Amino acid sequence: MELSLLGAALVAVGAMYGVLRWEAGRTNAADCTRALWDALLGGAIAGLAAGRIATLIGDGINPLAHPMDTLIVRGGVDTGFASLAALGTLALMLRRLDGGAWSALDAAAPAALAGLAGWHGGCVVRDACLGTVTDLPWGVAQAGSGIARHPVEIYTAVVLVVAVIGLVVWKRRRPGAGVVAGVALAAAAGIRLATEPMRLAVGSRPSAWYAAGLAAGVAVAAWRLRRGPASSPG
Amino acid sequence: MTLPQDRAGPYTPPVSRITGLVVALAVAISACRSPSADPSAVPELPAASPADVTGLLAGSARPVVVNVWASWCAPCRSEAALLRQAEAKWGDRVRFLGIDVRDDQAGARSFIAEFGLDGFEHLFDPEGRIPAALGGVGVPHTYFFAPGGELVRLHNGVIDERTLALQIDELLRRG
Repeated sequence: MELSLLGAALVAVGAMYGVLRWEAGRTNAADCTRALWDALLGGAIAGLAAGRIATLIGDGINPLAHPMDTLIVRGGVDTGFASLAALGTLALMLRRLDGGAWSALDAAAPAALAGLAGWHGGCVVRDACLGTVTDLPWGVAQAGSGIARHPVEIYTAVVLVVAVIGLVVWKRRRPGAGVVAGVALAAAAGIRLATEPMRLAVGSRPSAWYAAGLAAGVAVAAWRLRRGPASSPG
Repeated sequence: MTLPQDRAGPYTPPVSRITGLVVALAVAISACRSPSADPSAVPELPAASPADVTGLLAGSARPVVVNVWASWCAPCRSEAALLRQAEAKWGDRVRFLGIDVRDDQAGARSFIAEFGLDGFEHLFDPEGRIPAALGGVGVPHTYFFAPGGELVRLHNGVIDERTLALQIDELLRRG
């Protein structure tokens, strides 16, 4: 992993940790922070690994023959497989917490979104914020160029931060267990889906994955909402 | 909500199931191979000097993306598929040029065949004089030249999809 990617990853991890610490004793039980932190980090690492391996296989590289290639994250990480692995790992690691997996996922959801916001905002470190051309006054040109572009990764980070604040506020009202997690999934996928047209790409267009994530999040939130308010504060 | 150990005693992971899953995945992955192209079908790469490349860039009416690679370079494998896709997408408007450095012909031809990079031209530079003259460092790295040979951008290291797409878009918009 190159240093700029490492910098962006540190911003993401810092944002995740900050939200988790802030929520401890407020909207989450104080004694579950360590377990949530482990699960979130585990989910992120599993997601990166699975997404990278999927990309290697798709590119015709056998990861068993070239295991070190898995570390070259800049070479591409398949969004869909990364998301599935991250969510699966998160659910697996949180399932044994008291209050059940849904409450635990609710507890982790704002911090997970904060981590995503940090990753996108970390584009400043990676010098990778820009997307398609725009005439809007806040368009940004890269050094040495007069062509203004959407700072699409900054848009994404800002909207994700707003979503984090909204989720934390909503958690105080104790909606049904799993509702916050469902809304968080829908928000993460929906924000990426909405901003995707402003991103430049060579071939990959993971919009179908984002649409599926949005639909799954809405379905989970609606299903859990119908079950009524949470019996435990989580 | 409490910590896991507070709830149901020590946790014992289902080791046999996890091991079985890992073995099954390993077998499946090892069965996944790219279509094995024949290196002998790839022509020998022409040797080139810095002056050859400078002349080629100056005479190009199209923007040129120059990728410096080598068959022994692990990160080069990670960007090969991306460059192939980019050439397929923009090859009619952008000239793609590979420069194989500090390598041998057999390794180079195997690499080109393995990753299907025979769609764009490659030059052979066994002493690495071309990137040294152009100012690049290490392998891989990628240059973006405007028509006429003006260097617009140099990206050192593995190039990612967004950066490649952005820099090509910049080249095309500069006309």
